[in-house]
Amino acid sequence: MSEIHIEIDNVNAYYNGNHALKNISVKIQKKQITAIIGPSGCGKSTLLKCMNRLIDLTDGVTYSGKILIDNEDIFARKTDIVNIRKKMGLLAQKPIPLPMSIYENIAYGPKIHGTKKKSDLDAIVEKYLKLVGLWEEVKGRLNSPASQLSLGQQQRLCLARGLAVEPEIILCDEPTSALDPVSSQHIEQQLLKLKKDYTIVIVTHNIHQAMRLADYVIHLYLGELVEHGLANEVFENPKEERTRAYINGIFSPDLKIDSEENLKGKMCPYNFVYAKQALHNLEDGKILKIIVDDPLAVTEVPRGMEADGHKVLIVKQINKKDWEIVIQK
Amino acid sequence: MELRRVEESIFKILMILSLVIVMGSLLGVIGTILLKGLPALNIDMLTKTAQGGYYLGKGGGILNAIIGSAYLAIGGTVLAFFLSIGIAFYLQKEYSGGTRLSNLTRLCLDILWGTPSIVYGAFGFTVLMFFHMRASLLAGIIVLALLELPIMTRAMEEVIKTVPQELKEVSYSLGATRLETTLSVVSKQALPGLLTGVLIAFGRGIGDAASILFTAGYTDRIPTSLFDATASLPLAIFFQLSSPLPQVQQKAYASAVILLMVILAISITTRLLSRKYNKYIIK
Ligand SMILES: Nc1ncnc2c1ncn2[C@@H]1O[C@H](COP(=O)(O)OP(=O)(O)O)[C@@H](O)[C@H]1O
Ligand SMILES: [Mg+2]
Repeated sequence: MSEIHIEIDNVNAYYNGNHALKNISVKIQKKQITAIIGPSGCGKSTLLKCMNRLIDLTDGVTYSGKILIDNEDIFARKTDIVNIRKKMGLLAQKPIPLPMSIYENIAYGPKIHGTKKKSDLDAIVEKYLKLVGLWEEVKGRLNSPASQLSLGQQQRLCLARGLAVEPEIILCDEPTSALDPVSSQHIEQQLLKLKKDYTIVIVTHNIHQAMRLADYVIHLYLGELVEHGLANEVFENPKEERTRAYINGIFSPDLKIDSEENLKGKMCPYNFVYAKQALHNLEDGKILKIIVDDPLAVTEVPRGMEADGHKVLIVKQINKKDWEIVIQK
Repeated sequence: MELRRVEESIFKILMILSLVIVMGSLLGVIGTILLKGLPALNIDMLTKTAQGGYYLGKGGGILNAIIGSAYLAIGGTVLAFFLSIGIAFYLQKEYSGGTRLSNLTRLCLDILWGTPSIVYGAFGFTVLMFFHMRASLLAGIIVLALLELPIMTRAMEEVIKTVPQELKEVSYSLGATRLETTLSVVSKQALPGLLTGVLIAFGRGIGDAASILFTAGYTDRIPTSLFDATASLPLAIFFQLSSPLPQVQQKAYASAVILLMVILAISITTRLLSRKYNKYIIK
């Protein structure tokens, strides 16, 4: 019964030579929710942006491979990207309404795709605002600026706007990370409801959200595809150590830490040097936890450690500025 | 600790001082003009053209200059607008790709911006002479448009540049083309800023005398075609001020009051429009 909607085949992406996606191949099923999980900077957004080729808008980016949507290669030169994008709704990290009224935000897409009649547009606006549960809240002020809505309402408006162009796929990039818990829950419920009609790909670094929503999980780590599979299998019994560590790291941080090093305030590459020194003093198999606050370290230290043959178990943000990196020698 | 407090109070004093200088000079200018101009201002000045002998202290008004200035400044601004908006979009990275040509264009605009307006006037005059043409409304409009172009373009370019990338991505993700995105999303987000750019340029256009001195000419009649010469407010002020007769000189100040009012009215209208569209902007 399952049918493949998006087929990602050996995709590589580089930002000015920085290898952000490495040989990614995975298939995404129709009318399911697929979650892309992994720590910040692992390439989740990049993969998503490849799927609607918004990546084209970034300077200095190059990519290769194939992405087939309904068996049409969207990287192919002859592909009409406007048509591809029309097939996909996008829900971004923070709600970005268009600089127009609530009504025009929804009507914008249908209008550019040829719906001209006012009565048709009215019907579309009403239909999709109702679908996302926003109609009752805004029906009296359709002509007021969208920017005046609350963040949660704005995100639902953005969802409705994306749905109004009648896509088949909804791409979400951490759609609830800027929202309060109630609004987040609202969006999650919408997505579960929409699953019966749409293929949904959601990027999240919130494991719990992935567990609540996903049918299928893709775990990225430093640009590599670590593991992918049915959600319950991946979550209950991950095949890969790194997936286990990522899931566990968020659940129960009761890994046995043998040594801890606070490297806050140390810049790259000194934090890396200190971490190496600390590891040097440990026996093989022992575990070192470091705390860093240099954003560069979050991607560079794990990268360097892996290059040196150590195992990075956890990369986790513990508060606004600080990250925890757990390394096994 | 002490030093920091001293430092802070020095900066505070400097800030207040600059504020006083700015406000003071504005009030000084407006005050002088109003004091000297208001007594001489009468309804005739607004409703009558300069009939024979006006500059010798006889009756009449400067309606010809008011209307002439309106034609000149509106015409110049509209012309400059269409040129500027095109150039401003072209200068964006996604259109010109940040090429050497776009940098060269920017350099030219900056040089033009710094060029004194009399040079524009002289250039316009040379061109007119070359084609054996006389000073006219059309020539004045073209020269004013050139004068306004660099200001307007640079202001618009900066505004368009600040439109967030995410906003464009939203539009593209809905399947819009680059043109649709530009026309319906980028321009809406930039609208209040664009209006301000137009206003600044209009202000420079309507207040400039030197560029239109030789190109638009000066007459006592209201122009009826683009090829007629035309009077203008800045030149009316200039000619009245140069008169030896005190009552004519006073009328110069009255004309300045009128010019001030026009600029004020345009400013306020733009502000109001700007505020109206500002509500829609995504921050
Ligand atoms: N516009 C860009 N220019 C250069 N590098 C980028 C850009 N966007 C992302 N990257 C890099 O690509 C990698 C993957 O980023 P991204 O896909 O945004 O990760 P995620 O969404 O998982 O946090 C990171 O190392 C990031 O620094
Ligand atoms: Mg991201």
